[in-house]
Amino acid sequence: MKLNRLNIKTGIDIVTLILAFLLPLILEVNQYLLTVLILMLVFTMYSSAWNLLATSGQGSLGHAAFFGIGGYVSAIISNSFGLPVIVTIVIGGFFAAVIGVLIGLTCVRLKAWFLAMVTFGFAIIVQTVTVELSGLTGGWDGIPAKKLVPVTITNHVMYEYYIILLIAVVVIVIIYLIMKSKMGLALEAIRENELEAKVMGINVTVYKLKAFAASAFFTGIAGALEIHHFGYVTPEVYGIDISFWPIIYSVSGGLYTIGGPILGTVVITAIWEVLRSFGMTYGRFILIGLILILIVIFLPKGLISIPEKIRSIFLKN
Amino acid sequence: MDLGVFIQILVWGIYAGCIYILLAIGLNLIFGVMKVVNFAHGELLMLGAYATFWIYTFSGLNPYLVIPLAMIILAIVGVFIERLCFRPIMGTGKLNEIFLSLGLIYLFQNLAAVFWTTDSRSIHSPYSDVSITLGSINLPVDYIIIIVITAICLIALQLFMKKATLGRAMRATSQNREAATLMGINVERMDMLSFALGAAFAATAGSLCLITGQMVNPYVGSIPAIEAFAVVIIGGLGSIPGAIIAGLTLGIAENIVPLFMQYSVGLLGLEMSFSAWKDTIAFIILIIVLVIRPTGIFGEKEE
Repeated sequence: MKLNRLNIKTGIDIVTLILAFLLPLILEVNQYLLTVLILMLVFTMYSSAWNLLATSGQGSLGHAAFFGIGGYVSAIISNSFGLPVIVTIVIGGFFAAVIGVLIGLTCVRLKAWFLAMVTFGFAIIVQTVTVELSGLTGGWDGIPAKKLVPVTITNHVMYEYYIILLIAVVVIVIIYLIMKSKMGLALEAIRENELEAKVMGINVTVYKLKAFAASAFFTGIAGALEIHHFGYVTPEVYGIDISFWPIIYSVSGGLYTIGGPILGTVVITAIWEVLRSFGMTYGRFILIGLILILIVIFLPKGLISIPEKIRSIFLKN
Repeated sequence: MDLGVFIQILVWGIYAGCIYILLAIGLNLIFGVMKVVNFAHGELLMLGAYATFWIYTFSGLNPYLVIPLAMIILAIVGVFIERLCFRPIMGTGKLNEIFLSLGLIYLFQNLAAVFWTTDSRSIHSPYSDVSITLGSINLPVDYIIIIVITAICLIALQLFMKKATLGRAMRATSQNREAATLMGINVERMDMLSFALGAAFAATAGSLCLITGQMVNPYVGSIPAIEAFAVVIIGGLGSIPGAIIAGLTLGIAENIVPLFMQYSVGLLGLEMSFSAWKDTIAFIILIIVLVIRPTGIFGEKEE
């Protein structure tokens, strides 16, 4: 039975991956849809990274800070040193990780609500600092960034899609390995009961900092990929919405799981785009807000727990 | 620096502080009783401001007299939010109320945008051109009224909590929920009461913002709410005196620090404006305070 279920799961994973590879070929030239898919991939990375930090019980409300730092650092370095974009993306991620550890040093001692506010405020501080350093960052106007694939190549958006898909798969596999490793267990123990985790000999501070570093690193990479896809970066990457999206995706998909943030990103983005095609503007946000509230109240384990729920209903009968 | 300018800015700071205090006290009341933080508190401020705006527009009453009506309306809204949203998730995981509040923020902001459009609205206070002049200092009467109203609210709350049976029941619930239940207090009713009071205070803050000439749109609640969270955290979660002191300090600091920085940079012969830093200062203070004391200045030691 167990083997069977595992097989079904891997089967679904493989089918999803194959679909992800084939999708642009099926949709061919529709550039708009391709862009939506690229953003979806970027946000699966971003949500998974946020979820990794949340696994340790630290719910950040300001992850846009790392998203933006990764983007800005990568753009500035690739503009001024002429390094290839793939390299600067990683540098952007590292820079975000360093900043993540620094802010993490304050956060490790804080309770959930305090941490939420500090991270939220941190995103606003980073935005102000970025705008004020206008010599380097171009102020509110932002700066151009190199395209991931030069526009001169035909079908460059499709190549971008495949590069980002590859990176997303690698990032999610790494996050999977982290969550399944001893570190993942330690993070879960810390989330459930910090005091007990400490008693069991888990070094809470070190693990929380590691989670911050890893989460900020992958968030920075996601941010850098997004801005190199768009070709420019403005202080709007630090926006409150950018901080909230990964939370909405992870919560609706299923917190503290690997599949949750991915499923959440895909489903919510799909709903979002369908509503956009109906021409709804504020209605979309109302619906997203409602979905979030209903999921928190009635389906706290997220959409990914629906099969399990259905199974338990059948088993009861 | 001119002393007159300094005092003027001080009054500005106290005015801003009053808004933060009203919001922060609502948050503290709710946290004290229910042990949840309502991150959508700024949206209650926004709804309160709209309530005042519409009642004023249709009735033409003196806007200050409309405030109690707005408070009652928002108290009812608060009760609904508590019953429908926060009660089902109580005790289900630490971060859930944060996620729930995010949903509420999206819901309220955009419902307001749908019903009332995103146009900025404002009203004129009947006293907007009356001011008291003391030497070189010019104080608008509205600011003084606001400071008085805030003081009245605080004193009324204090009397309610200390003298009234209901208020004492509320304090008992916030001190020890189980013991309060054993003493025959209906703690769920206390939850509703705390939310109603918190929402009513937010409505007061919103109405006061509106009357002093601030534009109101669906997104107006975010910034004051953020500052109020900073106040709550600096003052210590659940501490009302802490909120008052921290609110005034933050209001004044926000207005004086940029000026002071501009002045000191000016001494070096540089022209720089720090007004963009106004909202950032709250968080810089917040982070410094939390680095030194992780539970806030007036917060109790936990564990």
